[in-house]
Amino acid sequence: MRISDKKSTKETLEQLKKSQSTLNAIVSVYDDPQQESENGPLAGVHVVLKDNINTKGHLTTASSRILENYVPVYDATITKKLKDAGAVIVAKSSMDELGMGGTNKNALTGAVHNPYDLNRISGGSSGGSAVVVASGIVPLAIGTDTGDSVRKPAAYNGVVGVKPTYGRISRYGIIPYASSLDHVGYFTTNVQDAALALEVLAGRDDHDMTSSFKEVGKYSQLLNGDLHGKTIALFKTVNDEIQDETIKKAFDELVEKLKDAGANIVEREMPIQYMELIAPVYRTIANAEATANHSNLDGIRFGRRVDGDSVEDVMTRSRTEGFSSYVRARFVIGSYSLFEENQDRLFRKAQKIRRLIVDAYAKMFDGVDGVLSIAAPTVAPEIDESSDVRFGPSSFAEEHMQLANFSGYPSITLPLGLENGLPFGVLLTCKPFEEQMMFDLALGIEEQTGLDGMVKEG
Amino acid sequence: MEKFSNEYFKKLANDLKFDLSDEEIEELKKDFIEVEKQVELFDSIDTEGVQEMVYPFETPTYFIREDEINEVLSQEDALKNAKDVRMGHIHVPKVVR
Amino acid sequence: MEKYFVTIGIEIHCELKTKTKMFSSAPTSFGEVANTCVNEVDLGHPGTLPCVNKHAIELAIKACTGMHCTIDPLVRFDRKNYYYSDLPKGFQITQQFFPIGKDGYVEIEVDGEKKKIGIERIHMEEDTAKQFHKETGTYIDFNRAGTPLIEIVSRPDMHSAKEAAAYVETLRKNLFYLNVSDVKMEEGSMRCDVNISLSPDQNTLGTKVEIKNLNSIANVQKAVQAEIERQSALLDAGEKVEQATRRYDEAQKTTILMRKKEGNVDYKYFPEPNIFPILLDEEWIRNIQDHLEELPDARIERFISQYGLNDYDASVLVADRSMADYFEEVVKSTKETKKAANWVIGDMSAWLNKNNQSFEDLEVDADAIASLINLISNGEISGKQGKAVFEEVMLGKDPKKVIEEKGMKQVSDDGAILALVSSVLDANPQSIEDYKNGKDRAIGFLVGQVMKASKGQANPKRTNELIREELAKR
Repeated sequence: MRISDKKSTKETLEQLKKSQSTLNAIVSVYDDPQQESENGPLAGVHVVLKDNINTKGHLTTASSRILENYVPVYDATITKKLKDAGAVIVAKSSMDELGMGGTNKNALTGAVHNPYDLNRISGGSSGGSAVVVASGIVPLAIGTDTGDSVRKPAAYNGVVGVKPTYGRISRYGIIPYASSLDHVGYFTTNVQDAALALEVLAGRDDHDMTSSFKEVGKYSQLLNGDLHGKTIALFKTVNDEIQDETIKKAFDELVEKLKDAGANIVEREMPIQYMELIAPVYRTIANAEATANHSNLDGIRFGRRVDGDSVEDVMTRSRTEGFSSYVRARFVIGSYSLFEENQDRLFRKAQKIRRLIVDAYAKMFDGVDGVLSIAAPTVAPEIDESSDVRFGPSSFAEEHMQLANFSGYPSITLPLGLENGLPFGVLLTCKPFEEQMMFDLALGIEEQTGLDGMVKEG
Repeated sequence: MEKFSNEYFKKLANDLKFDLSDEEIEELKKDFIEVEKQVELFDSIDTEGVQEMVYPFETPTYFIREDEINEVLSQEDALKNAKDVRMGHIHVPKVVR
Repeated sequence: MEKYFVTIGIEIHCELKTKTKMFSSAPTSFGEVANTCVNEVDLGHPGTLPCVNKHAIELAIKACTGMHCTIDPLVRFDRKNYYYSDLPKGFQITQQFFPIGKDGYVEIEVDGEKKKIGIERIHMEEDTAKQFHKETGTYIDFNRAGTPLIEIVSRPDMHSAKEAAAYVETLRKNLFYLNVSDVKMEEGSMRCDVNISLSPDQNTLGTKVEIKNLNSIANVQKAVQAEIERQSALLDAGEKVEQATRRYDEAQKTTILMRKKEGNVDYKYFPEPNIFPILLDEEWIRNIQDHLEELPDARIERFISQYGLNDYDASVLVADRSMADYFEEVVKSTKETKKAANWVIGDMSAWLNKNNQSFEDLEVDADAIASLINLISNGEISGKQGKAVFEEVMLGKDPKKVIEEKGMKQVSDDGAILALVSSVLDANPQSIEDYKNGKDRAIGFLVGQVMKASKGQANPKRTNELIREELAKR
């Protein structure tokens, strides 16, 4: 479905409700969705929000038990922006609890299923949003991306997933995961829609001190897929690490087509040593920030409170019952790395290595307009076989997208093809605030893959 | 208290205001083997003279909010999500500190 | 007491006089209905982000400048992590690593001796919610949550209870003069924690004991004295002082254990990722510093040099900023600066005291007081009449009108006075006799008689002169 396609809210709500038995993508639907602005670039467009985006007066749980009854008293800035643009918010989508996970199995409402194969994961943490777009129910769904939480599910579900530059979209009113890595992102079925959506979502917000003052471009109007004179770097270190022959072959074929379309193709690499540090650095920083960010969830002022004999008891019971084992484990690890005696070897060390990695990453962009790689190394894994790596070793082929979170660079996943009927994608990353370039290159790529508008209807 | 003992992890958890079951602690112990391995990996990188990267972008901001009253919640909204409200206050069991 | 060396350091938390919170645009308040001066940020709701208050930074810069601190123009914030029901986010945003001000001092005076007390740092942070503990539980009001604070940390430069009290008093006055804070200790807008240690010699530090929540300057002195005595007694008895947090009990006149310190709490400080470092405009900082309010010490100096007051009067006036402000209003309209000081410090203060008022809310026009002073010094009314007029002026009347209404105009016309003098002398030959015999005080009696005859309206000075002239003739 495209933004320009219209249907009744009744039809969309019916499709959402019906899809629950197969996809299980939704936490709550709006009984009576409203269009609060008649005009605007998204007038009448049905939008689904990830359930960590605050909606005044409507349940927002972040798929965590501790927030199972939380009804925000304020709108996230982007909620307001969407309403002002004429969008109709129809539902809130499932996610990994508090954004912590990459499978969407760790959600209060249970696993989300991949529309291409219901036995497979949607990926996460923005799985619900990915799936409602991939299954053609809505043309636009909002997610958040701290590691790859928009871009990886986009690859698994064959849709376009965008994570713009850090500070491009306000984070005010988004239930956080890790503040220095968190980005708002979104899913569409095509690049044109993706460009239009950013025009609505982006922009300075005085409520978010990390929000950028840079002017928002007219991305969709200026969109130009001509690749002549454009230089695209292939991220050799990542592509070499990937084993799946079908995906590799499709990628190579795409590169040939891009050359034919006029693109100048070069190769770039990152030191392997740094690549192997991505995941540990990411986890160290993300867990540490998360444990502090979620200290407000104590059952006192909002959320699920479990009664107790003392206020400490109330907090302890509420938090024990309110968070899954997995999340509590991450909090312990995060807190440990923040102990005074550990900061130098863990948290601060990770922040220093983050700088080294970002410096090396930035060098890859010298003289190129974008860096292209395979997105995820495989198609979506089966639900029973996938699990979130808790803290163990993992391949950088899985984790490389986190580079754009470390650096804040804008990054987009595009569908590349299908393997046995299951989608896989490519990842394009550009320099900070060069979203126009990112969309232009993405359109050029989309013209070669021909997968613009792809959905898998149930 | 021995480091990485059950008691140690319980204390870590209780400092964060939650409990861990014995099974959860066993899982955590495995995680901490990885955490310690990771420290070794970190140690292999020379970060002498490298500043911590706290934010993705490091150009300082110049914006500061003017001191003007803007957003205030009604008492009803402020207390709406709290489970126990008495006399316009959020109520909890008696705090002894 | 002198056998132990006393070391005292003081931490002061001070609420800044802003309209809105440190990190949100909800109003600051005192005494408002519970939970009506808050928004989602103050309540620590999910998804909220902090946004720094410009005026709070401005006030912090003033405080830093007034205390001679070096200002860091790159403002950075950090998180201090701990769980408590009065701390909505589960962390406090503070400035652990880079305080806005450091390495300053204030000058205190104890027993006529001046001394510099070092300021280690001044940093900005946010206040917690207020809790009311009752039998039925704890009641939390979040109105105070997020109120801007500065914390001023002294160096351990104080060595007696008097010095501690003088330091707090000096700081309080300075902050009040700078319009940085209300500094009402009893209302909690200024809070004071004192660290005390005793040791047998100057080169070693004893065990540190903290006394928390001192709510008046008098109590600072009393608590420190009591704690010095308590610790001395322990040391005398060969016992150890335990590292602990204590509070002062006014009724028992001693400090009471609140909790023992079991190692240092690890607050897991780390830089606040949601606030980019803020680079302050140097021009803006300079502008604030150039327009800094006059500090008390400078004002005392000025009162002495500009108005010719003595040190005592100048100090008394400056101790109360509103009184000093009022004095300066009065002397705009009279040259009698010393008399003005006497009136303000004496009769006016007494009157306000009696009527339970203060200079802060005094509505009487300073012009009227100046005019009264001028009328007396011009001899238009007597000092005694002046006192009567003053009572009326304090009720809002114009002094000239009062004089007219009461017919108090002093008679300075020689002819009229001379007539009265003649008749009084005629009626008191004995007094003339006495005067001739060298009894000078007879003059006083005669002046009194003339004043009586004139119903107090004769100019006493002129009356005196005329009596002497007439006596010489007789």
